[in-house]
Amino acid sequence: MADQGLEGSQPVDLQKHPSGIVPTLQNIVSTVNLDCKLDLKAIALQARNAEYNPKRFAAVIMRIREPKTTALIFASGKMVCTGAKSEGQSKLAARKYARIIQKLGFPAKFKDFKIQNIVGSCDVKFPIRLEGLAYSHGAFSSYEPELFPGLIYRMKQPKIVLLIFVSGKIVLTGAKVRDETYAAFENIYPVLTEFRKNQQ
Amino acid sequence: MATFELYRRSTIGMCLTETLDEMVQNGTLSPELAIQVLVQFDKSMTEALETQVKSKVSIKGHLHTYRFCDNVWTFILQDALFKNEDSQENVGRVKIVACDSKLLSQ
Repeated sequence: MADQGLEGSQPVDLQKHPSGIVPTLQNIVSTVNLDCKLDLKAIALQARNAEYNPKRFAAVIMRIREPKTTALIFASGKMVCTGAKSEGQSKLAARKYARIIQKLGFPAKFKDFKIQNIVGSCDVKFPIRLEGLAYSHGAFSSYEPELFPGLIYRMKQPKIVLLIFVSGKIVLTGAKVRDETYAAFENIYPVLTEFRKNQQ
Repeated sequence: MATFELYRRSTIGMCLTETLDEMVQNGTLSPELAIQVLVQFDKSMTEALETQVKSKVSIKGHLHTYRFCDNVWTFILQDALFKNEDSQENVGRVKIVACDSKLLSQ
């Protein structure tokens, strides 16, 4: 994975990341208002890499290769951009989609761009006793291995949901800014070391 | 039975259309009959491809563009490799238009 490659080349700022691990951003979801009504069929017919199946979903699904993202474009002019790996890339992609819509003849603006969700992941590289963690952090944890193999940890401050797996792989979601992802990981890291599984 | 007019743009369909045009021009065929022949051609092509063609072709290439609109998929491939049981061929640029025949019977 990319994060392992980065660790060697760039020293981690231990002030900000005392654990020495920096979660890798995996997906950014953003929204923007193009502020004009759109003819979705006209867009689907003219634009490249577009899908429009109004029986299934009331938006045009469009993709671009750089930044590799997918956009949902609604007739109201609202747009959702997913799949970018950073906030900047998400905004750049959203601008590219807006430009495509403009080139098709719509007076698209770029209003109220907002990052709605940031998903990050990392690997603490040791196994974790999920039952123990769930028991001692009962108020925040939901662990139902018959339903889902990961422990779902709903942190209150910052308000981030973490998926914690036995393998030591962690997924953090629900952040609006990346620092919430980082803060949530630094909060959970000491807990994870506490519930480190001893190798048999 | 309704059919797609998709195969009229094939080599055989174009030839038939040209011939029918010629016949209508010089008065050996009425335009109505020419249309009827084309409709029959649509049906026969669909039927022949369904029942008589057993060979399969695989197409692999770089997907340059795709589109799905009005239940029609359009793909533009670059550097595609067409493969069947006993031969293969490279094609620089291919456009694939695919319709769902199930939609006709609804």
